[in-house]
Amino acid sequence: MRRRMFLATLAASMTPRLTWAEVGRPALLAAGKEGDTYTLHGLTATGESVFRVALPGRGHAAAAHPTRAEAVAFARRPGTFALVIDCATGAVAHRLSPPEGLQFNGHGAFSHDGSRLMTSEVVAETSEGRIGLWDTARYTRLGDWPSQGLGPHDIKLLPDGRLAVANGGIRTDPVDRTKLNLPDMRPNLTILSEDGSPLDQMELSGLFQNSIRHLALAGSAIAFAMQWEGDPAEAVPQLGLWTPGQSPILCTARPEDALALKGYAGSVAATGGRVIVTSPKGGAATIFGLEGAPLATLYRADLCGAAALGTSFVVTDGLGAIWSASESGLTPLASGPAQWDNHLIAL
Amino acid sequence: MRGILIALALATPAAADTASVVQTHIRPGYAAFAEAARQLAAIDSCDPVALRPAFQAAYDAWMHVAHLALGPAEEDGRALAVHFWPDPKGSGWKAQRALLAADPATLTPDAMASQSVAARGLPALERLLFPAEELPADPCSLTHATADDLARIASDLNAAWAGYGDLLLTAGQPGNTRFLTPDEATQALFTQLVTGLEVVADRRIGRPLGTFDKPRPDLAEARASGRSQANVVQSLQALRALTLALNPDSPRTLAAFDRALGLAEALDDPRFDRAADPQGWLKLEILQQAVRATRDAALAELGPALGVTLGFNAQDGD
Repeated sequence: MRRRMFLATLAASMTPRLTWAEVGRPALLAAGKEGDTYTLHGLTATGESVFRVALPGRGHAAAAHPTRAEAVAFARRPGTFALVIDCATGAVAHRLSPPEGLQFNGHGAFSHDGSRLMTSEVVAETSEGRIGLWDTARYTRLGDWPSQGLGPHDIKLLPDGRLAVANGGIRTDPVDRTKLNLPDMRPNLTILSEDGSPLDQMELSGLFQNSIRHLALAGSAIAFAMQWEGDPAEAVPQLGLWTPGQSPILCTARPEDALALKGYAGSVAATGGRVIVTSPKGGAATIFGLEGAPLATLYRADLCGAAALGTSFVVTDGLGAIWSASESGLTPLASGPAQWDNHLIAL
Repeated sequence: MRGILIALALATPAAADTASVVQTHIRPGYAAFAEAARQLAAIDSCDPVALRPAFQAAYDAWMHVAHLALGPAEEDGRALAVHFWPDPKGSGWKAQRALLAADPATLTPDAMASQSVAARGLPALERLLFPAEELPADPCSLTHATADDLARIASDLNAAWAGYGDLLLTAGQPGNTRFLTPDEATQALFTQLVTGLEVVADRRIGRPLGTFDKPRPDLAEARASGRSQANVVQSLQALRALTLALNPDSPRTLAAFDRALGLAEALDDPRFDRAADPQGWLKLEILQQAVRATRDAALAELGPALGVTLGFNAQDGD
């Protein structure tokens, strides 16, 4: 019995794992909904689908392995499981569950060599943040680090292996997700070393009700997108840029566009000296320069997914369209039956 | 695959009448607003008493299109320049005080157009025509400049709806990159209906309602001009008209509107002052619930009939 199990495990680990090139060389990954079916697509830079695999339920595409054709999708909250999808076959290669008492909180990031997966997690009872560590050979749990805040959401690996963590600052009820601490929430953006030690942390004084949730790398800076939990009539920035060691720059929209995002940023992407932040609730996206100046506001219902490809932006919406976005507007690339989910992942 | 085909077939508009909304609701509504704003700006007098009826007429006209916050209304913040409310930090009045102190000769149309949206439009005029305290300077020039600016925006909006209305009408046709399918146009209009009802419940009623322990009648919309209740009634009337234009066969939604309108009209509380006493507060809360029930009815009845829903991502916080 023991020997047979050993052989089975050995066989599994020796099954050749396909690379992205072998599944059509997609440039982007996106989850979607087609009728009652949830799917994960590999897309080319022009929005053509090169593979399409079924997902067992609605999940956000969150991370792609750097070399192997494997994607991680997180179940929507409360995050009791994550799926490693074999993008060649559509099979669920691994089903990850956090240890007892922890919940996944929406995002993950692979190490540059692909040997390790990091996942944002919370202690269910307290929303205290953890970064879970997984060995990607067989997706076994290695351990976890404190995220240095409450409710961590997006995490992004920096080029040198440090990890940026968006600690959203919100304590939620473990079952019904009610937000419990809005009057005194304190989000932060934390930098962890490769072994999980806290290196730097940024808080926005005076804007504590602006939950830092999504991240993108913008040159040497980290672009952070926020969701406003204060008075919805108050126009506050939804985007900031932070270079560790320096003061953050807040990206303030023109007064006439300041409410266009309705206080809610869904995704953020950066390239070519510009950052785009999308808002499905506002049906809009705003592009800023790296000094924080607003360059353009674009309108399209349910816009959310955003990724940088080369020096241009690709954005997706819940109506099924894929667009190229720039200061001069939105240009349609493709459209179809898949309603695109929150995030678009560049490979 | 079969599931996908069925879903696509259902997605074909069943009773959507984008043409009816554009031609009988949006364009006439914006034309009426432009005309009312023009008439207000045409008044020579500086006497608030002479200006107030035309101000009220322009505000009435705006309430019948204020929920159509797409296209020309959202671009360049035009709707905000007409109606910047709420303004929790009082930034509009701060900017207006500076303008009142300035040389009237500087209040050119270009200068007004470059002012912050908070310092323009109907709430700005209201502060000049129904001042809460004695104004620090003669408001005559600023009143005229603000009214002229409002008339210009109203005229721009009306003109822009010609082209944008055509985009709605040609949804799904080659070259129309704004609305890629007819359903997208229907969904955009349906979203205005649902969002409009949320604005009535959450802002027009919700802000003065506050909480039972801390009601905030002082936060009511257009309180100085005595329009708080009228704005709720008029926006419900406008949203009911939009429902009829989208699909006249919406009995549950229309019944919910009629119940909410009946409650709103019966309040007899023009400035929502009675939110401060427990009985008045409860009445206002019952109205808020009726408006939310109208939203729920529209989502349950009208959305499926039109074959559209609200945004896939807009409804899903992440």
